[in-house]
Amino acid sequence: MTATTAKNLIDQPYKYGFVTDVESDTIPKGLNEDVIRMISAKKNEPEFMLDFRLKAYRQWQKMNEPNWFHASYSPIDYQDISYYSAPKNNDSEKKQSLDEVDPALLETFEKLGLPLSEQKRLSNVAVDAVFDSVSIATTFKEKLAKEGVIFCSISEALQEYPEIVKKYLGSVVPVGDNFFAALNSAVFTDGSFVYVPKGVTCPMELSTYFRINSGETGQFERTLIVAEDSSHVSYLEGCTAPMYDTNQLHAAVVELVALDDAEIKYSTTQNWFAGDENGKGGIYNFVTKRGKCQGKNSKISWTQVETGSAITLKYPSCVLVGDNSVGEFYSIALTNNMQQADTGTKMVHIGKNTRSKIISKGISAGNSTNSYRGLVKMGPKAHGARNYSQCDSMLIGDNAEANTFPYIQVDNDTTKVEHEASTSKIGEDQLFYFAQRGISEEDAVSMMVSGFCQEVFNQLPMEFASEADKLLSLKLENSVG
Amino acid sequence: MIRENSNVILSVRNLTAEVEGTPILNGVNLEVKAGEIHAIMGRNGSGKSTLSKVLAGHPDYKVTEGEIIFQGENILEMEPDERSLKGMFLAFQYPLEIPGVSTLDFLRVAYNSQRKQQGLEEMDAFDFEDLVEEKLELVKMDPSFLERSLNEGFSGGEKKRNEILQMALLEPALGILDETDSGLDIDALKIVANGVNQLAKPDNATVMITHYQRILNYVEPDYVHVMRDGRIVTSGGKELAQELEERGYEWIEEEAVSEVSAQ
Amino acid sequence: MNAQTSFSSKEIQAASSDQYLNGLLKQCQGQAVALQDSETATWLQQVRDHASSSLAQSSMPTKRDEEWRFTDLSPLMQHDFQADGEASVAPSTVEGLTLPEASTTRLVFVNGVYSHQLSDVTDLPKGVYVGNLSCMSAAHTYRLQNYLAQQEGSEELFTALNTASLTDAAVIWAAPNQIVETPIHLLFLSVPGETPTLSQPRALVVAHTSASLEVIEQYTSLSESENRPNTGELPARQGELPARPYLTNAVTEIWAEENAQVTHTRVQQESQQGFHIGKSAITQSRDSRYTCNAISFGARLSRHNLDVFCHGSQSDTNLNGLTVIRGEQLSDTHSAIAYTTPHCTSDQLHKCIIDDRAHAVFNGKVFVPKAAQLTNAAQLNRNLLLSPKAHVNTKPQLQITADNVQCSHGATVSQLEADELFYLRSRGLNESDARNLLIDAFAAEMLQRIPTPSLRKTLSASLREGRGQKAEGRG
Repeated sequence: MTATTAKNLIDQPYKYGFVTDVESDTIPKGLNEDVIRMISAKKNEPEFMLDFRLKAYRQWQKMNEPNWFHASYSPIDYQDISYYSAPKNNDSEKKQSLDEVDPALLETFEKLGLPLSEQKRLSNVAVDAVFDSVSIATTFKEKLAKEGVIFCSISEALQEYPEIVKKYLGSVVPVGDNFFAALNSAVFTDGSFVYVPKGVTCPMELSTYFRINSGETGQFERTLIVAEDSSHVSYLEGCTAPMYDTNQLHAAVVELVALDDAEIKYSTTQNWFAGDENGKGGIYNFVTKRGKCQGKNSKISWTQVETGSAITLKYPSCVLVGDNSVGEFYSIALTNNMQQADTGTKMVHIGKNTRSKIISKGISAGNSTNSYRGLVKMGPKAHGARNYSQCDSMLIGDNAEANTFPYIQVDNDTTKVEHEASTSKIGEDQLFYFAQRGISEEDAVSMMVSGFCQEVFNQLPMEFASEADKLLSLKLENSVG
Repeated sequence: MIRENSNVILSVRNLTAEVEGTPILNGVNLEVKAGEIHAIMGRNGSGKSTLSKVLAGHPDYKVTEGEIIFQGENILEMEPDERSLKGMFLAFQYPLEIPGVSTLDFLRVAYNSQRKQQGLEEMDAFDFEDLVEEKLELVKMDPSFLERSLNEGFSGGEKKRNEILQMALLEPALGILDETDSGLDIDALKIVANGVNQLAKPDNATVMITHYQRILNYVEPDYVHVMRDGRIVTSGGKELAQELEERGYEWIEEEAVSEVSAQ
Repeated sequence: MNAQTSFSSKEIQAASSDQYLNGLLKQCQGQAVALQDSETATWLQQVRDHASSSLAQSSMPTKRDEEWRFTDLSPLMQHDFQADGEASVAPSTVEGLTLPEASTTRLVFVNGVYSHQLSDVTDLPKGVYVGNLSCMSAAHTYRLQNYLAQQEGSEELFTALNTASLTDAAVIWAAPNQIVETPIHLLFLSVPGETPTLSQPRALVVAHTSASLEVIEQYTSLSESENRPNTGELPARQGELPARPYLTNAVTEIWAEENAQVTHTRVQQESQQGFHIGKSAITQSRDSRYTCNAISFGARLSRHNLDVFCHGSQSDTNLNGLTVIRGEQLSDTHSAIAYTTPHCTSDQLHKCIIDDRAHAVFNGKVFVPKAAQLTNAAQLNRNLLLSPKAHVNTKPQLQITADNVQCSHGATVSQLEADELFYLRSRGLNESDARNLLIDAFAAEMLQRIPTPSLRKTLSASLREGRGQKAEGRG
């Protein structure tokens, strides 16, 4: 039980760090209105979309990059980023069959443990594979279509279902919502679109797998999920990226809309490249995720397992408009080495008897910084609204940092807000206690971490819960000593 | 109980240890035979708790001289878990709280680690639960403890009883109780003392490190040792503890000083 | 009483620039009396002088002071309190206030002055001394020097004010290894006179190594007109004089030495016109256990400062609090636990039940410096609002610089659950009964922690009594 073993645990190599050699159609670096027009034209978008983008761009120009979070990084030169990159042979039109997809891309996803071909694909999960912001393939489309569920790339949706997109895009995260959301609204290239019609329970898990490949491209996906009255859908996203020693910006926007009695469950396992042990390279993960419980009795549940990225700023939120609607946030954020995470949620209670629940588990190891930041807001008309928040931090080793910043704002007196927070540690003392009872260090760490995260693992779809547990163990191997 | 020809379980010879360069044990000698109960007393900072941690192999302490022969083998190079599996048990002065790990899981993993070491098959969850519930009786703990996170939110008395429960389960050759009696109210103290008495067998031994004399009213030691400045300065029978209670430590210290000056 | 003898030579230098505070201080100094024994008189006078001079730099707190942000003292400062201790109380009057469990372990103080007649310490358990400071022999008081007014924070304004007039004080002293099973009852009565009365009760509790004791500290008032216990009735019934204003400024110091155990129950039931400022300061040594059950029903304005200093490993602290207020009452609890060594634990649960336009304040500080690794501190504040105008300010304040700790805090503000009320009513309970049942349940968790059965019973009765009247008042 020495410092060396501790270090070994942390220094687990990133196994998704390879680069796929594909020819890309990448536009020159820089951002101006012409670039935006070019992106829109390349994607053959309807007029309203170009207007949307330009409006966002003009607002963005007037905005300042935020600096209130608990993380630091060198300034981003927004003119030094290329805003569009797509694998060639995969133009805006989606391939009708997988045979037409570049085999190198299929191989990439297979290497990531996500085979897309019909023989190998997961039997109960429909996957939309996104490579450098462009959707490569979506499985099980036909089967889903039979139920009336639309699951495709957002580019495709803009061609096929422009009226639905027009109605909901920007309705939850307005174009000028924040600096990174405005940038995304101006330049996003692709992402996933889900529409579940009235009364339908989506027959399988939907999943998008995001893969960043290119070294100098910003990644700006846009996801929109609409659940009509009394429908149910569970959606999962996974993320990986190659190892580059430069930082890449990932500024995605996710919007969820749940109408009366609808339920959306959105799970994320984020494992973007985190940079090396000295903090060189890695993804800047500045993402805006928000769900709107528009209908009464609707429910939106966010679950996230965040293990990657050099810097994460991410607050999946719920706006609870419909009476009796429910918002949930379950999070595990793990940081190691030089990673910085400032993550949490916002629960905005507007309707009567709305309920929200926040369970956040932050694990910080190495020299990393892990902050929980959450807002619970009880509006003046949110009579009988309730919130329960629990924010636990676990420190591993002596140099990690954990912070908790809960904000509670109550504007009416019939609400109930509960907040609990705790900090614990896995250090030499704890390991000695286990060792004195004959339990090895590896078993001790895995017992403690699994136990700490159990409440959140229970929320993940079955297929991914054990995966997530393994991911954490892997990330933490030998991180103590 | 002192018996002639008992096996020697622990033999500590001229043990010297330091923490971050500061000497803290200065030549401890101690022999513990099967069937015996030893009490080690001393003021704050006399080195008595350090001795227990050094015996168990706490990584903060560096042994600079001497040897620890446990069950006939020098264990100085052994990791803490190896020493544990060899039959050394340390009841912690401050048992740690481990959130998220249930007491039952912890006990089972500990118990099965030992079985694995002995080449036995792991015990399944149901049989194990039966076994534990039987042991709970000894320390008068409610089975609901097993579902709770290890020591989390336990009162001081519950934590110490949990230590005795673990000792009952692991049946060590040597139980070292590091101030298990401090911080206990009188009722908890009696339960702990009863547990220690019940677990003392002719083939095992107990070393009780204590700051207060009170527990010795309930557990009768065969030997009492007094530590000062990282050494055992005097040893005697149970009457020594009584004398300490009445006269304090000063007289021993004076004697120790005069001994040194006589040399 | 010869007030002259006690005047401090430093009186003039010790004057504060704050007129009001200065007036209070003069009253205190006027009340302080030299003790018989000259040696004791000397050190005690030094203690008083030190307190007086520490006040020179002080002024009455205002809402601009962080510690008093939500508690406005201006209603208190409208009165000119006089330290005129004398009041006679018939033994029959206090009968309803004594505890059968502590019938021969009771000290009674009236307006801060010891009453030999009302006290009963005729059958003290072995190994414990219970008595009044100014009646003690020099041989005994000598030992108190290291304890009396020696707690950290003793220069805090109201504590220093109390110390400045220190004469009578309840002293409880348990010898090493003594397990005192009989509870010790300290009853502090306020009997307001014609002019607003200032009384400054004082108590000192020392539990030596491995000793164990239980102390009950009770504050209540008798109305002068009938000399009967205050039951907390809200508006005075017709034909009665309204209760008179008075100020109780109480200080209790508790020392739990190595491995000692102190269970402390503090009941505050002042009248609706009373002002109560109370300090409980506790110092804990290694392996000691301290439990506080603080129950507060009374006073127009009350403040409880509860400071716990843990100076040894494995100290265990349990703070339980229940505040029940209504009308225009304001009740403020400020607690602080400070650690200096590793491996200590604390658990705090403070509940408030707030009705009408009453206002509760809770501020709970926990200081965990780097030296206090492996501290385990939990804090929870739960508030039940019974009316839309009821108001609470809650502020848990954990300052943690150690990194290997388990600390949690929580605060809730809620109303009676509509669902639960509905459920009870659907089983045939009327609204008032259903409400009372739920309120009792909320309070019961705290009352159950009080170890003395008769007190537990009286307190649950008082809890219901106040509400009963109120329900009638509502018609």
